[in-house]
Amino acid sequence: MTTILLVEDDKNQRLLYEQELKHDGYDVVTASDGKEALEKVQKQLPDIVIMDINMPKMDGIEAMGRILSKNKAIPVIINTAYTNYKDSFMSWVADAYVVKSSELSELKGKIKEVLANKAKDS
Amino acid sequence: MPLDENLSKKIEEVCLDLRVDSAQQDAEITEDLGGVELPKVSSGLKERRKLERRNKDKIIDVIGVGLCLLNKELKITWANKTFYDWLNLKDSPLGKYCHDVYHCDEIGTDSCPAASVFNGKAGGIIETWIESGSMKKMCVQHVAIPIHNRDGNINSVLILTIDSTESEKTVHKLLLLQKLGEAMQGTLHLDKLLHLILTCVTSGYAFGFNRAMLFLVNKKHNVLNGKLAVGPSSLEEANQTWKELSSKHSSLKDIFKELDFSHNIDTPFNTMAKLMVYSLSDTREVVIFCAKEKKPIIIKDAVNDPRVTQEFRKALGVNEFVCVPLIAKNETIGVIVADNIYTGEPISDDRVSILTMFVNQAALAIENAETYKRLEDKINQLTEAQRRLISSERLAAIGSMSSYVAHEIRNPLVTIGGFAKALSRFTFTDSKIEANINIIIEEVKRLEKILNNITDFGKPSKPEKVDTQVCEIMVNTCILMENYFQEKNINVRKEFEADVPDISGDPTQIKQVFLNMLMNAVEAMPDGGDLDIKIRRAMTSIEIDIVDNGKSIPKEVLQNIFDPFFTTKPNGTGVGLSISLKIIEDHGGNIDVKSISGEGTTMTMTLPVISRKGVCSNDDYPSR
Repeated sequence: MTTILLVEDDKNQRLLYEQELKHDGYDVVTASDGKEALEKVQKQLPDIVIMDINMPKMDGIEAMGRILSKNKAIPVIINTAYTNYKDSFMSWVADAYVVKSSELSELKGKIKEVLANKAKDS
Repeated sequence: MPLDENLSKKIEEVCLDLRVDSAQQDAEITEDLGGVELPKVSSGLKERRKLERRNKDKIIDVIGVGLCLLNKELKITWANKTFYDWLNLKDSPLGKYCHDVYHCDEIGTDSCPAASVFNGKAGGIIETWIESGSMKKMCVQHVAIPIHNRDGNINSVLILTIDSTESEKTVHKLLLLQKLGEAMQGTLHLDKLLHLILTCVTSGYAFGFNRAMLFLVNKKHNVLNGKLAVGPSSLEEANQTWKELSSKHSSLKDIFKELDFSHNIDTPFNTMAKLMVYSLSDTREVVIFCAKEKKPIIIKDAVNDPRVTQEFRKALGVNEFVCVPLIAKNETIGVIVADNIYTGEPISDDRVSILTMFVNQAALAIENAETYKRLEDKINQLTEAQRRLISSERLAAIGSMSSYVAHEIRNPLVTIGGFAKALSRFTFTDSKIEANINIIIEEVKRLEKILNNITDFGKPSKPEKVDTQVCEIMVNTCILMENYFQEKNINVRKEFEADVPDISGDPTQIKQVFLNMLMNAVEAMPDGGDLDIKIRRAMTSIEIDIVDNGKSIPKEVLQNIFDPFFTTKPNGTGVGLSISLKIIEDHGGNIDVKSISGEGTTMTMTLPVISRKGVCSNDDYPSR
């Protein structure tokens, strides 16, 4: 079973993604900010992380940096309402960058793609 | 001052006359001594008196002053010849009232000089214009002098009538000069001012030259440039213009009012003037000579005057002209050339001296206008810069505002639309529910589309790949880091092969890579060292070596250096090399690292000369 760590501070959105991803057959662990995400990564060892950027306590970019410096094998997909981070060098290290949309098919597609690449590399 | 020619001639005549008279007198007196008859003596005395009176009359005539005696009734009892001439009298004025003869309005007022003098007061001076016998307009002043009899009473008044036409003319000219000066100082627009100056030089009301041309010094190019010329281009045109002018009776005020700047602009004369350019070092040209000497030059005979070149004379087409320098703050800023090509009227020293006074004022006005223009230009530049600043700041504000609003709205929209979509997977017994859910989904999609348009507003344009010369970028990057190299005591040696071909790439991104790589190399040499940069051509690619002789990279670290967020530096972010690799890979290239303990590190970047299309587009998010 593939485990996804979903990092999202908006309660309703977190609920939406959790529901949708579970519906697609993934195991979903959630975190509501960057700090919580770091703890969950250590405990649950997810196969993939879906990371929001604008969050309280610790933002997604910093959390991603900390996760990757400890475990560079975990792929990260940035899922944000902001398009402008796409041009930032910092977010280039993520495996994919998805601009949030009510149409979840893009995110779902990227998850499949990234997981497939990971399977190929290992 | 030399005596007026007419006057001296007259004096000579009178003197000659007086000599003849006295010779006759002497002869008569000798005769008188011979005879003893008394009646003869008395008749001789009468004769002498007559003679003396005649001589006095002659002397009075020579003075050039109109004289008349008035009795207490202000009737004329005597007048000299000059008086007759000036007032153009056909009948004898004797016995007539003085104001009738003078056509004077001062009678009965306090300002009548004769009446004042009779009343024991000082006689004031009154001034009138009269038309003399030779139909010449004259300005005259009247002065009253009391004549006392033996008892000390005033029984008659002598009126001196003095010709003040010349001094009046001078005063008029000075007033005109002042008016023109005021008008000029009030004009700050340079083109208008130049036009105004030349219009004054050519207008009959002011200086009345036929044509005038203005040159200005161009300091930057060290030349004297023709700027404007005013005046008719042909005799026919001249006649036409003068006819119009005389029918209009233009006064100075009218000239200023009607000064039409488009007028005269297209004349051949003006076009020719604008094409005239003389080097300031070429003093053979009379205009340059005039500018250097800072003195007006009158050319009476251009053909035989060595100061005038043949070209200049031919261009002007006239044998007599005047050059007056425009001097402001002791420096020549230009030259005015004026002539009388159509009337052929000689240019007098008088006219030139008053023109010079005018031109000096004009020079100051031009200087002012030029300063003003420079200021105006500067202010315009400032305003423009400010406008752009405000506009860009406003754009930035709109951008950040719209992006904030867009993101705040996007998040709840995603939730609404996402749940609506989740709902649509269920089957409903009531078909209305399904239709309503679809409406929610469609409306959310529409809103998201609008948001995408807004958020794209502030997005920078996508990087573009162009033909790029890597050596050039490397040189520029090194220049950028020059101070840093010096500060860290780094000796940079560049070794670029000739004819390194262009690659297809984004110069900004490649510069970013070079910056990262050079920075790393410098950081590897904390105590300074040698940094070699080599660029050479390989088979189908170019290779760039960055070699340092600093501390090498340990083996266990070497395999991680391209991983994101991996760093051994206390303040490093750990993205520099990973981004560099990503960019180079985007360009279809590769980075190779060799590090030997105690020798240093060599980073080799390989970039293909012909980039593989489709491999490297920033739109696709590359996989790690």
